[in-house]
Formats: sequence, structure tokens, C-alpha cells
Amino acid sequence: MKKRLVAIILALVLLFALCACSGGENKNDEKILRLGESFAYASLDPHKDYNSWGTSAYGLTEALFKMNDRSVMEPLLAEKAEVSEDGLTWTVTLKDGVCFSNGNAVTAEMVIRNIERLAEVNERFAYLADFEYKATSDAVFTITTPEVYPTMLNELATPELAILDLDASKDIDNAPVATGPFVVKSFVPESTVEVSRNENYWDGDVKLDGAVFYYMPDDESKLMAMQNGEIDGYAGVSAASAEIFSADPDRYVLTDVAATRLQFYILNENRMSDEVRKAINLTVDCDAIAEYLSGTVSPAVGPFGENTAYGKVTKPAADTAAAKKTLEDAGYTLNSDGIYEKGGKPLSLKICYYPSRSLDSIAVIMQQQLKAVGIASTVESYEDPDGTYIATGDFDIALYCMIADKNGDPFYFIDCTLRSGAPYNCGGFESAECDALIAQLRYETDADKRSELANKIVQIAIDDNAFGYVGLFNKISVTAPGVTGIAENCPFDFYRIDADTDIVR
Amino acid sequence: MKKYIAKRLLQLVVVVLGLSFLTFALMYIAPGDPAEKKLSAQGIAVDPEVLAATRAEMGLDRPFLEQYADWLGGLFSGDLGESYRSGRAVADMLGESFVYTLELTVLSLAAALAISLPLALLAAVRQNGIADFLVRIFSFIGNSLPNFLISVLLMYYFCVKLRLLPVISDGSAKGFILPCLALAIPLASRFVRQFRAEILEQLGKEYVDAALSRGVKMRYILFCNVLHNALIPMITLTALSVGTLMGGSVVIETVFRLPGLGKLAMDAISARDYPVIQGFVLLSSGIYVLLNLAADLLYRAVDPRVEEGGDAG
Repeated sequence: MKKRLVAIILALVLLFALCACSGGENKNDEKILRLGESFAYASLDPHKDYNSWGTSAYGLTEALFKMNDRSVMEPLLAEKAEVSEDGLTWTVTLKDGVCFSNGNAVTAEMVIRNIERLAEVNERFAYLADFEYKATSDAVFTITTPEVYPTMLNELATPELAILDLDASKDIDNAPVATGPFVVKSFVPESTVEVSRNENYWDGDVKLDGAVFYYMPDDESKLMAMQNGEIDGYAGVSAASAEIFSADPDRYVLTDVAATRLQFYILNENRMSDEVRKAINLTVDCDAIAEYLSGTVSPAVGPFGENTAYGKVTKPAADTAAAKKTLEDAGYTLNSDGIYEKGGKPLSLKICYYPSRSLDSIAVIMQQQLKAVGIASTVESYEDPDGTYIATGDFDIALYCMIADKNGDPFYFIDCTLRSGAPYNCGGFESAECDALIAQLRYETDADKRSELANKIVQIAIDDNAFGYVGLFNKISVTAPGVTGIAENCPFDFYRIDADTDIVR
Repeated sequence: MKKYIAKRLLQLVVVVLGLSFLTFALMYIAPGDPAEKKLSAQGIAVDPEVLAATRAEMGLDRPFLEQYADWLGGLFSGDLGESYRSGRAVADMLGESFVYTLELTVLSLAAALAISLPLALLAAVRQNGIADFLVRIFSFIGNSLPNFLISVLLMYYFCVKLRLLPVISDGSAKGFILPCLALAIPLASRFVRQFRAEILEQLGKEYVDAALSRGVKMRYILFCNVLHNALIPMITLTALSVGTLMGGSVVIETVFRLPGLGKLAMDAISARDYPVIQGFVLLSSGIYVLLNLAADLLYRAVDPRVEEGGDAG
């Protein structure tokens, strides 16, 4: 019996030893970067859905322009873009020598075909079909718009507008032929993507031989893969994992940057007076919320990052004494339950949220903070905010989370949250001045003036206590020492590796 | 026998169709719009006009019955439709995921039986002894620990501490060791308790005493009589477990990066990907009913006294 037991134990040890021996270190000295990814895509067709957020991150596709770490446009495949005096015609010049991975030159004609294809296959870009395109030479084309379109550069920088060799891409879903520093080596839908160096890269040498992107939706798996050296880094580190990594700075390099995903709340002006809304905004302590969320968010002043030109707004610091005074000046008195009331009616609010992006935690913290100054509230969770409280306006405080800065320009967020009648302006905020400024922003072509207008508009909404901007999610990345250039300081999720990304083991 | 199988297969069609209608109806009334989920997948606000156009393109603006009839028509012509989320054929997606789930199910079930049967026998034979006590403790702990915790603990010790196995499975056999163990441990813990009770019940019967008094060895009685007689409840338990396992395990598949049916279903539910959800319900309910049928047939093979439907005569 004992002999049999020993034999079983030995067999198990042998099995594990064999498993361990066949482990996957690089068999030669190739520089292959291994990254964990929280998202995976079903296709590599950058024009469809949000696939381009993957193809751009994997270094496969490029657009005409790109956003830098400060959300400022920089030329990528294009040399420049100039607008006519009437603001209706943009002339885009491609860089010399830009070519696809198969060596074919990128032509203006091909760029136009890509824009037209994007408009056709992606509903979000259907509006691009309203513009007229004309190639005036191999390297120059024009875009004529029915009205002034100041955010054209931002549109041309969006990762969806990746330029493919549509004639050579026989299987766009699995192996698009594009201009990026890497080409597809293998692709498993919604799983692992392997890329190798594009030997024909138009912009010089590519430092890495290749990269592997492992789809790892679970946080613990990414943490442990990092700990035993199976991956060289990943973005989207959780607070708990960041704490573990930061305890060992010799083995892990942590970087965080305030990104573009905003947590905010809408205050219902149809239900609450100016004083109550002011008191709420004076009560909600965004610093305390950010602290509770353990560094995963940065406290927000406005909707945009403070390092952008259009993120220069101010708001009063949390001050519970001032909040109480505001309510008392408005005729509210504390009842025996410690809740403010007016005319015998206690001040009780309805906070609506959906359980995602830490909004559930924020709702509860806000409830506690409001209760501490004497404002009662109930929190209600909804699965589908757009189909419920955002659509009906049945709330006092509505929590929401969305990307505020999608392409280096403030107009999109301002237009969908602050304009009268906008889909996310569902709390009754109306300001003729704001609407006039938004109309001006729609057509303003000067970047500095656009930022100035954006700051004015957002400041009006802040001063009116129409909204509360709580936090901007941090993009926290971890890398092994020696890994450089994985866009760890860039707030946008769709940039990761490029020709300069390197690893020194 | 043939009549019985035909009757059960007919029941299968009714059950599966009924479930598909119920699922479609529940998804229809549940909050959440597939078009909105698709367009705002990365957290970008959706323009209402774009949303309306997308809904029309996806056919979501049509009445409920029309949408269901359309899906049913496709089903009868062998087309399960395309995923809203990825645009891929649902049949292909289910087929790919099914392979992973089947492998995981077979291996983890084999491991669970390999662990639980000897332990149950040991515990029953040494009832109230130290071995029995230890086995019951194992069973209690294994039952209490959530799948997620077992997975993480296994990963931590075998991958990070001992470095014997990789966190990232490359699809090879070694990539299946930990997920199989993570599924097998709670399953074995449940089996041990049930098998032990069943074996103890058989051990208390008169035929065991009679055989012992005739000088038959205990080992022979255990393996040839007791286990054989305890087999029917064990088959029921195993068949039910296979049905559950074949539905996929979201936690295990997510932690170990296995693109099985559980992960596919969970992603589809999050994205309100109706065609994939419908396909999953169709497949999993079909498997469940077929497994029950197989178990019933197995009863008859094991014990000819069992009548059609699984009742002993």
C-alpha cells in the first residue's frame, strides 16, 4: 500500500516537473514584448465597431494624425492639413514615403476610399458620407464640408480612421494590410494577438521584434502573470494590485495618468432649488471619494484633464459648514432626526446610479456625505441608465460615467451634456449664454479660442451647480524594468506600442 | 425502448422551443438595448439619431413576435444568426466555445471521480475514524470555498510560488491542469459526501452481512456488490453535474482565459447579444435534456429492474 502511495506521489511530481520544464521562455534572443490586455476584439477590421482601439494599440494601424500625451494633434501619416479661408475645404497632404507593410505607397485615393468605407461600415461615422472628397495628386486630397467643421483634424486622428491597403487586404478581419510598425503574426478572435515587426515600416526602425497581447479579463490573473514574469506589463492596474506592485519598486515600474473617462452627476434643476444644488456640490467631497477609490481615480474639477488647454476651470472646495449655511439661509431648519426640512417637508433626495465604473461606491459615499450635513437620500440602482433615469429625468442626482475627451477636443462632451435639449442634459440645465457659446464653439476654428470657449461654457455649468464632476479614471500601468514606450503617460486607451517601444531584459 | 427514446426526443424539442421563447421574451422586456451597448461599448455617448438608425439596421425596432419568428425561421433553416457584438456566425462561436467546455468538463469530471470515489470508499469503510474525519473536513472545505478563491489559490501556489505551471494557458494539456482542478475540487467535495452516504447505506444492508458470514472478502463485496448497487444514485448525481459543467463556468473560464461557453454566455448577456444568448440556451438546454435521457438509459443498463423513466419496479 505504501509502495503504491509513493509511486503515485512520484508520478505526480514527475508530471509537474515535465510541465515546468516545457515552460515558454523565448527560445532565442528576440525582443518580444508580452502584454496583458483587459479587452479583446472579435475582428481586426479597424473600421468596424471599436476594433481600431485594438489594432491601434497593437501597433498595426495608424491614422492621418494622432493625439499626444497632452491631447494635442500631431501629424502621423499626414504631413499637414490646411483649411480654406471660408473654413469649408480642408487640404490634407500626406507625408513623403508613407507606405503599407507590403511596400505599396499610401495614396490620397486610397485614403479617400478608407474614409468612405468607414462611413459605410460604422454607424458612428456615417456622417463622413456627407463630405466631399477629391484627390488632387497622389499625396494631396481635399475634404469639402457643407458647413465649417473645426474638429476635422480630430476626426482624422480618430483610430477608426486607420488607413488600410484595401486592395491587398483580402482578409481584413484577420490580417489587414496597414501602415503600422507591426504586422499580424497570428490572431485568435477575442483572445491572443501576436504581431511581428513590419520590415517595410515607413518611419524608420522598429525596436521590437514583435509583441504578444494576451486577453486577460481577470485582474488576479494579470497580477500573477506579472509576478511570475509571464507578461512584461499591462494597463488598467487595480488599486489592490497597485499596492502590491508599489511595494517592490525594483521589480515593477508603476505609472499613472489621469485618463479621459469621467465620473459625474447631474443635478435636477426641475426638482431642486439653486440653494439645494449648491449645498450638494459643497458637500460632495471628491478628494475623499478618490481616496476611498484608492488611487484608481483622480479628483476632477471639470470634465477634462487639467493638463489640457480646455481643462482650466475652477470649483469651490468641499465645505460642509458653507453647505449648511446655504441651506439655512434658504429657510431650511434641522429637524429632530438631524435632517434639514422646510415647511415641514424633510429634504430627501433620490440618487440614481448603475452598478459600474465604481458608481455604486460613489452613490453610497455621497449618501453618507449628504447625511452628515443633514440631507437624507435614497440610492436606486438601475441596469440601463439610458433607458431609465436619463431618459425620464426621474431623479434628483443622476450618476453617470462616460469618456469626456474622445479625440482631443471638448466639443463632443459639451454638446451632448450642456447644450439645451442634449441627450445627457436631462436635469433641466438651460442657459442662453451657454447655448450661444456652444454654437460659437461648433464653428470656431482657432484652437486657443476653442479652449477658451470650452472653459467658459463648463464654468457656467459649474457655477450654476447643474453638474458635479467627481473623478477622472486613472490609467495605471505596470511594466517590468527595461520596458519603455507603452504609452503609459498617454490618457487615451487606444495607444500602446509603436516603433519606439523597447525592452531591455 | 425506441418508442420511449422517440417520446423523450419529442419532449426535448418542446422544452427547447419553450425555453427559447421564454428567453427571447425575457430579454425583450429586460432593460438594456443591444444597439446602445454595441455603440457605447467603450463608454462614448451615443447620438440618438445614430442609435435609432442602428436599431433599425439590427431589426430591433420591429415587434417582438416578428423578431422571434425571424429567429425561429432562421433556426429551422439551420441558421442561428450572427452575433450583434462581433458579427460572427453564432454557430461558429458556439462550436469553438463548446470544444473548450467539453474538454474542461470531461477532464474535471474524471478528476472529480478519481478523487471522490476512493475517498468516499475510505470514509465509509473507516466510518467515524480519523480517515473519515479528514475526508469530511476536506469535503466541508471544498464545498465552502467559492470557485474563484480555489482558482486564485491554485494559481498562486502552482504558478507564482512553485512556478510549476503557467498562468497563461497556451492551449496545451498543462494549461488545463489548474482549471480542471479548480472545477474538480468542489465537485469532488460534493460527490464524496453523497457517495459516502450511499455506500454506507449499502454497507448496512443484510446482503453485506450475509456475504461476510459466507466468508466473502470485504474487498470483493465492496467493489463487486456495494459499489454496483450504489451506482444508480451516483449516475444521477454525475449526470446532473455534467449538465451543469456543460453550461460553462464563467469564473474558471475568466480566470484561466478559457473561451468556453460560460464566458461566451456571460459576455453575450452583458452586451444583450440576443442571437448568441438564444444559441446558448438552445445548446445548453438540449445538452441537459439529452444527458438526463442518457442517465435514464444507463439506469436500465446497470439495473434491468428499472423501468422506463428511471423508476425501480
